[in-house]
Parts: sequence; C-alpha cells; structure tokens
Amino acid sequence: MSPLTKTQALDRHALVMAIWLALGLVAVMLFDYGSDGGGWIATLSAFGAVLAAFIGHIIVNAVYDTGFSRRELALGLVIYAGALVACGLAALLVPGFGARNFLPLSLGFGGLFAAVVFYMITHFGVRRSFEAFDVIGDFGTDGPDRNSRQERR
Amino acid sequence: MTTPFLILSGLFFAYAVYIATRCARSFGRPEDFLDGAREIPSWATIFAGTGVVVAGLGLPDHILLTSLYGLQYSHVAVGLVLVGLCGALVQKRIWLAARITGLGTIGDLMGEYFGSVALRLYLLAILFLFTIPFAAYGLGEIGQLVEAATGGSLRAGLVIWVTAFFLFLYAVIGGWRAVVYVVAGQSFLVLTLILFTGGFAGITFDGLALFTKGIATPAGILADQIPGVIQFTDGIGKQLPTGGLWTTVAILSFALSLIGIVLSPGFGFLGITSQTRKGFAFEQVWMTGGIAAGALLLIAPVIAAEIAAAAPAGLAGTPAAFAGLVARLGSMDQLLGIGLLMLLVAALQIGIAFFASSGASIVTIELVARYVLPELSPAGRKLAARIALAAIFAAIALTASFAPLSATVFSSLALSLAAQLLPAFLGLCWLPWVSRSAVLAGLVIGIIIVVFTEPFGLILFEGLFLDLPWGRWPLTIHSAGWGLVFNVAACLLVSLFTRGGEERDHRQRLHDEFEAGQRAEPGGRAIRTARWSLTLIWAFLALGPGAILGNSFFSRPIFTGGNVALGMPSLLVWQIFFWLIGVLILWWLAYRGRLSVIDALPQHRLALGSPRSPLQRLPTPGWIARWLGRVAER
Repeated sequence: MSPLTKTQALDRHALVMAIWLALGLVAVMLFDYGSDGGGWIATLSAFGAVLAAFIGHIIVNAVYDTGFSRRELALGLVIYAGALVACGLAALLVPGFGARNFLPLSLGFGGLFAAVVFYMITHFGVRRSFEAFDVIGDFGTDGPDRNSRQERR
Repeated sequence: MTTPFLILSGLFFAYAVYIATRCARSFGRPEDFLDGAREIPSWATIFAGTGVVVAGLGLPDHILLTSLYGLQYSHVAVGLVLVGLCGALVQKRIWLAARITGLGTIGDLMGEYFGSVALRLYLLAILFLFTIPFAAYGLGEIGQLVEAATGGSLRAGLVIWVTAFFLFLYAVIGGWRAVVYVVAGQSFLVLTLILFTGGFAGITFDGLALFTKGIATPAGILADQIPGVIQFTDGIGKQLPTGGLWTTVAILSFALSLIGIVLSPGFGFLGITSQTRKGFAFEQVWMTGGIAAGALLLIAPVIAAEIAAAAPAGLAGTPAAFAGLVARLGSMDQLLGIGLLMLLVAALQIGIAFFASSGASIVTIELVARYVLPELSPAGRKLAARIALAAIFAAIALTASFAPLSATVFSSLALSLAAQLLPAFLGLCWLPWVSRSAVLAGLVIGIIIVVFTEPFGLILFEGLFLDLPWGRWPLTIHSAGWGLVFNVAACLLVSLFTRGGEERDHRQRLHDEFEAGQRAEPGGRAIRTARWSLTLIWAFLALGPGAILGNSFFSRPIFTGGNVALGMPSLLVWQIFFWLIGVLILWWLAYRGRLSVIDALPQHRLALGSPRSPLQRLPTPGWIARWLGRVAER
C-alpha cells in the first residue's frame, strides 16, 4: 500500500464521492418511501443501495491500493450511529413507525454491520480486526506490553 | 415538493463547490485550471464522456419524443452504438496526435495539420454553437421543467439564473478538472436514477402502460412501427409524413447527426486532456454503446409511455408533460417525484456545465492566448479563462431567459454542423490523402445544405426572399444526412486531384508517427475486411433501410404462417437484438481491432506546423492585429 500522490488522492476522493452521491440519493429515496408505507422491501432495498455503495468504495480502495481514510471511517461511524439513534427515536416517538419498520430496520442495520465485519475479517484477518476494537486490552498497557502488541501488529 | 427539491438541489451544489474547492487547493499551478494538467483520470473520462453523449442527445427531449412518436423514435437510441463507433475511430488517434505534437485542442490540431485558418475558425464557430445556444436551450428546459413540476412556485426565470450562477460558481473555482469530476459524478447519478426510476415503475405501478396499452401517441402516428424506409415529403413545416416522421432513413441520418457530439470541440478537449490509455475503449463500448444505449432503449419507452398516458393533450411533447409523472411518483412519496426531476435536471446540467467550461478553456487557449494576447502569463490565462467563463454563463442565462426561440433555432444546427467535420477527422486520423482543399470544399457544401434544411436557413431565406419548396429535413432525411452525403462526395472528388504534393508529405509525417508507435492489428486483411463488412451489414439492418423488417419480424415470422404473442412489440425486440449485436461488433472493433487500445505512449515530438502554413508565418492574422491596434490605440 503505497502513499497516493496529491492528484491520485483527489481522483480517488472524487470517485468515492460520486459513488455515494448517486447511490446515497437512491438509498434516501427508498428509505423514505419504505418508512412512509412502501413496505419492508423498499426499506431493505435502501440498505441494499448503501451496501452497493460500500462495495463500490471497497473496489475503489482496491484499485487505488488504499484503505478507508480516518475521515471516512469517522464519518461512516457517525452516520451509522446517528441513523441508529434517529430510527430508535422515531420508533419511540412516531406512532406506528416501530410497528411498520422495526424488523426491516433491524435487518438492515444488522446486515450493514455484518458486511463491515466480513470486510474487516477478509481484509485484515480475525486477530487484527479484533484488536482494532479491543479498547479494554489497551487499558494500563503503557509499558512494554503495549509496545510488544504494537510490534505484533 | 418545492422545499425538499430546493434542499436536495442545495446539497448537490454544495457537493459541486466542495469538489471544486478541493481541486483549487490541490492544484496551485494556473495552467491546471485550463486543462487539468492533461491528467483527467480514466474513470472521470469514462463517466463524463457517456454523460455528455446522453446530454448531447438530450435525455428529456428523447423521452418526450418517444412519448410523441413511440418506438419509431426510440429506435434512435441504437444510434448510440454508432456514436461509440465514431469515438473508436477518432478518439485514440486524436489523443495520440495531441501527445505527439504537444497541441492542446482540436482546433490547434486541425489548424496545424491542414494548415488552415478557416478550419480553425469553423471549429470555433461550432464551439460557440455548443457553448451558448445549445447550453442555453438546456438551461431554458431546466427552467420549464422545474416550473411545471413545482406547480409554478419556482418561476422558470429564477431557476435559470440560480442554476447558471451555481454552475458558474463551481466551474470558476475549480476549473476544468473540477467540472469533469462533477460532470462524471452527475453522469453516474443520471445512470443510477434512470435505472432506478425504470425499475421502480416496473415494480410498483399497476401494469406498465408500455405493455398494457402501448405508448399513447397522437392520432395518425404509428406507436410501435417504423412508418417506412423513406417518405417523399417536402419536410417538416411543409408536409406531414404519414404515420410519423421517423422512417429508417430519418433514424439513420439522425444517428449520423449524433456523431457530432464526438466530433465537437468540447468532447475532443475532454479526450485530449485525459490521461487515459484504457478508458476510451471502456467508455465507447460498455458505457456509451452498452449501458447508455441500453438504458435509453429499455427504460425511456417505459417512462415515455407513462408520460403519454398521463399528459394532457395540449402538453404532449413539451417539458410540462413530465409534471404528471412527477406528481404521480410524488403522490407515492415526495422524494420519488423529486428523484425523477433531479434525473432530468442533472442530465441537462451535464451538457451546460461541460460545454460552457470546455468553451471557456478552448477560447482562452485558441483565441486569447494565440491571437489576442500571446504574451499572457499563466496566471493571466487563468484570469482570462475565468472571465470567459463569466461571459459565457451570462450569455447562456441571457439567451435562455430572453431569447429561447433563438436558442432553439441555433442549437438545432450544432450537431449537424459538427457532424460535417467527419471527413476532416478521418483525414487527420486515418487518411493522409484527404487534403485541405478537399476538406474545405466538402465543408462549404455541407454547411450550406445543413443550413438550408434546418429552421435557421429556412426562416432567414424565406423571411428575406421567397418561400422554398422544401421544409426541415425533406424526404425525412435529417440535415446532417443531407450535408454529409454532399460533403463526403465533394471531399472525395477534390481529393482525387489534390491528394499528392508537398502538403501530403507534411500530413504523412503524423501518420508515420501513428504507425510507428502502435502494434499492428491482429488477424490481417481478411479479418479486417470481415469486421468492416459485418459493421456495414449491422448498420443496414439496425439503423438503415433493413430496420423496417423489425416492424413485424418477430410477431409475424414468415415461416410459421401465424402470429406470435410476444408480450411486446416486434420492433422493440428488433431494437434490443441489434443493440446487443452492435455492442459485440463495437467491442470487436475497439478492443480486438485495436481502434481504441493504446499500446504504448508516444515518444516522439513532432512540430506539426507546415512551412507553407499561414499559421507559421503569421501567428496573429492581420485583420485581428489591425482590429486590436485600432481598439488599443484609442
């Protein structure tokens, strides 16, 4: 994985934006339609569009020989968490929303999470994927243990 | 619907300005503003090129004409394979010629190769036709579409100026590279939305009108049949063709006009500024010939049938006809209606931003930096390009607002006149015996014939002198077809007498460079002959007179003696069948025939200017120097 030149980084960024622009809009439309009464197929299709964009992003990463940038990871996590909270609040506050959408939303969010985990395991391996989230293991490891862990990585 | 549409449009413009700002920050050199350092990535060329082809055809117009004429017009979409073929013939060699000679625009290449100022000026005239009237026509259409879809709450005039301002804003911030990025992103959006809209309608609508009732065309027009090989009518405005306008020769000649998109200076500039070595073939075969043609063939009739079923009679064929379908989708969910509107608006914005921005860059390189202010510094050129952008967008918005009829009349000339450049492009890319005199003679005749078979010439002549016995597109032959027949004939005739001499040696140098750097085509003469014979047979059956067989070939096969219930019109099956074969042939030519595959980067530098070329003797033509002198000295 060699560092990208300034031009390549911009090319990659613009391509990623183009993919999310198009598929994101389709996902928003389907999600809105699904939550308004379009049914679970529309909601699941919305998650399918997000998944397609995610796969497109991974393909772009493979073409440019890069991974997800820190900003992309942060943005993805914030949007995912925000969407979860928003759906939770809507289920609590909007009458009938939870009854109509709980199952497809759960499946969708769960599916996205599974896709991310699958990608991480196939891309990094089980051990490195687990260590990426192993916050507890980092507590109190300022000494030699932490250094040896870093070396292992 | 107005508020969510404004929010989504605002988000799109924020995205465009963001991309432009990133480009401006990443590329500090002023030269990059004009041509993106000639390193536009392959993916951007692939998507932007396809989007510009669809914008050149005009997606809303294509759907509206399909709703008005049915499948006989929709057949034109097969012509996108011809567009891909034309791209395969010229794009690679134009790119190589630009790299070999170091020249940056089609005008420069043509001017230096043929040693002709007239050709250079003609290309500038074509550039202006695309840059102002063609773009203004699209901008006016956006205004009408949005006004109709929002029930008049957003006035067309306001929409026109706001859209022009935001398109200008991101172009002026980021330059050519940003425009190509955004256009590529929009092209992907258009592709996604058209597939989504068609698929969504197919799944949710209670029986698609196309398959239940067909396309509800006005009385007297055959909705699912081509009305003949040719009709001996005087032309539009003089005599109505029976059964509809789109005979097989109308379809073929219209498809020929579409190659004008590929031959336009802006499209050439996109190719020249690309860093691509593999992108051309992919764009021509899979994107233009494959996905774009397929989407228009399969999905546009579905949308058109729904529009025709819902549109009030008086609005059929006008942008306001879309309002019915937008409202129908909006009644299911607001965002779905807005999605359709965004699809149409984005398809038009691609053309406006692309032609305006390429126009500004080319004008700066070819006119300002070459003739008007040759001593201009790179920073000065960037400023000049920005001023050109401002002037062009102002002209586009003014024309769209206050002279929409002029925009329509002049834009109708753009594709046909650009298509007249075919002999010049073939000469530059393949045929060194095509001389300057031959190209110019053909062009003069082609221009005259195009002008007098389009509204501009007819209105002008009939307004000043007397009525002509023919109207627009006489004998159902498109003006591009009329022009090209006489243009090519004149070009061949003059070439017979002027094919040798010193000029030929000058032109031959470039062709020697072409041959030196590229691997020989595999398969030899027999394969080459077979390939081109097959292409001609395909063109005859898919777009030419043979397409008339499609009317009943699949529903009333001659060997069975009975009718076959296909569930869809025979013509649609014929279109799909020949579209697939066309893509296969295109693939064969572009990849296996090496028409679009660049084997090695050109190493040589060739100073193309001929010693006898007036361009070499006099960098600034006398009349421009004198004019400038008069202006500057006062």
